[in-house]
Amino acid sequence: MKIREEPLCFDCEGERLFGILARPEQPADLGVVIVVGGPQTRVGSHRQFVLLARTLAAAGFPTLRFDVRGMGDSTGAPRDFEQIQPDIAAAIATLQGACPGVARVVLWGLCDAASAALLYVDATHDPRIAGLCLLNPWVRSAATLAKTQVKHYYGQRLLQREFWTKLFSGRIDILSALGELLRKLVQARSRPTVALCFQERMARGWRHFPGRILLILSGNDYTAKEFLEYAASDANWHGLLEHAGVTRIDLPEADHTFSSREWRDAVAKACVTWLGAISARPPAA
Amino acid sequence: MAAEAFFLPVAAAQRFCLYHAPAGVARGAFLYLHPFAEEMNKSRRMAALMARRLAESGHAVLQIDLAGCGDSSGDFGDASWQDWLQDVLSALDWLRARHEAPLWLWGLRSGCLLAAEAARRFDIPAHFLFWQPVVSGKPFLQQFLRLKVAGEMLGGEAKGVMEKLKARLAGGEPVEIAGYALSPALAQGLEATELAPPARPGRLVWFEVSAREGATLAPASTKRIEQWQAAGFSVMSAVLPAPSFWQTTEIEEAPALIDATLAALQS
Repeated sequence: MKIREEPLCFDCEGERLFGILARPEQPADLGVVIVVGGPQTRVGSHRQFVLLARTLAAAGFPTLRFDVRGMGDSTGAPRDFEQIQPDIAAAIATLQGACPGVARVVLWGLCDAASAALLYVDATHDPRIAGLCLLNPWVRSAATLAKTQVKHYYGQRLLQREFWTKLFSGRIDILSALGELLRKLVQARSRPTVALCFQERMARGWRHFPGRILLILSGNDYTAKEFLEYAASDANWHGLLEHAGVTRIDLPEADHTFSSREWRDAVAKACVTWLGAISARPPAA
Repeated sequence: MAAEAFFLPVAAAQRFCLYHAPAGVARGAFLYLHPFAEEMNKSRRMAALMARRLAESGHAVLQIDLAGCGDSSGDFGDASWQDWLQDVLSALDWLRARHEAPLWLWGLRSGCLLAAEAARRFDIPAHFLFWQPVVSGKPFLQQFLRLKVAGEMLGGEAKGVMEKLKARLAGGEPVEIAGYALSPALAQGLEATELAPPARPGRLVWFEVSAREGATLAPASTKRIEQWQAAGFSVMSAVLPAPSFWQTTEIEEAPALIDATLAALQS
């Protein structure tokens, strides 16, 4: 269906945020807020969020993407994903203000924006949030990074003929190589000591979230691998990926930002299908 | 004064614009032309910071997202160099309808190439503010294509990738690089353009950044600057210690560049 894009400016704790609303001609009761993470703006890497918002709106779902404080065009000091809950709340209010028919909202986030979406539901229990669309969620700490490196990098190297040839020909300093591996193993086994670190709050948000979750993971991405390792090994995450409300989609070839049309389209298509399934009043075709 | 976001209608499409009204009567009217592909996203914060400071110091600033870029309509793969030149004209019409103050074309990286070509092609009287200008389109395009070659090499295919890319473009087919579809019409326009001065001389402020203290301009830059001087431009240039904010992994700010730009405009 036809869509219209509108620039929206709104306030967040005294700062001015800039966003673009993609508005369908006949909007569903379900809207989407694209939360932006990492070093990105509301446009997304290779314009992923622009194109996604247009596709979602064309399927009937009003979609707002915006720059959080201190990013892109928005004013204020930059802050990290653990501190953008007010930004998300302001965006939800703005979306509902512009589209009064939107009763329920899905938060969509890639990388640390996926983490931010979980932290938002954990902190607010916002009843308007009907679903979370999480792509390659970010759970990195020194421990998760080391664990993933040990498994995927060192594991691979141990199978490489070249590694052993170099080792036996003396071109690898055995002591320093072993030292590095040991350091990584120690890091991998150490547990964070801070009470309720962000990964634990993410898990709590996930566990108690009453809505639906769409989890999309790239096969060619360290961040996604770390997430899977962490979710499989940490007690807080036990069973969460198998929850009844969770739909998981793996894109084996895709990289972290879905940097080709093929992968972007696969993500958009999966989102449209999933949104259609959780929308109480599916948009007229 | 807060910036105003709007869509500028052009033909059957629209371009996202951000207008920063000047504090008081405008001393200058700036049109900002963003860099290429992912560099645009990485530098958006710096563009915003500079635009706000320019507005505070009495300059009108218009930022435009070119066809197929940022929030503007279309897909990157549909955009041509010609479309971008036309966008410069559309933006200038809007800006000049509101301000008679001296016009400045402010470019970052390949945005400088676009600024210079638009001014030459359409005989636009303007001053120029160049940030880390790309001095020639051809090697710049080559570098962009190399991103694809590097990607293919990681996948084990190295031989003849660059040749294949060029053959496809020459055959009128788009190629996908780092998530961006590049059309032959954009590649050809970019490849053919040079950072040559327009006929009407004015002021040129040229800043580059370097991580090294005490760095000097590259010979290619010096040569271009001499060319602009020979065309009658009064040139101020410097290399500032600052990060390459248009390509860093995380978003970086270069306050030294902002301060130096404001100081250069005062003089």
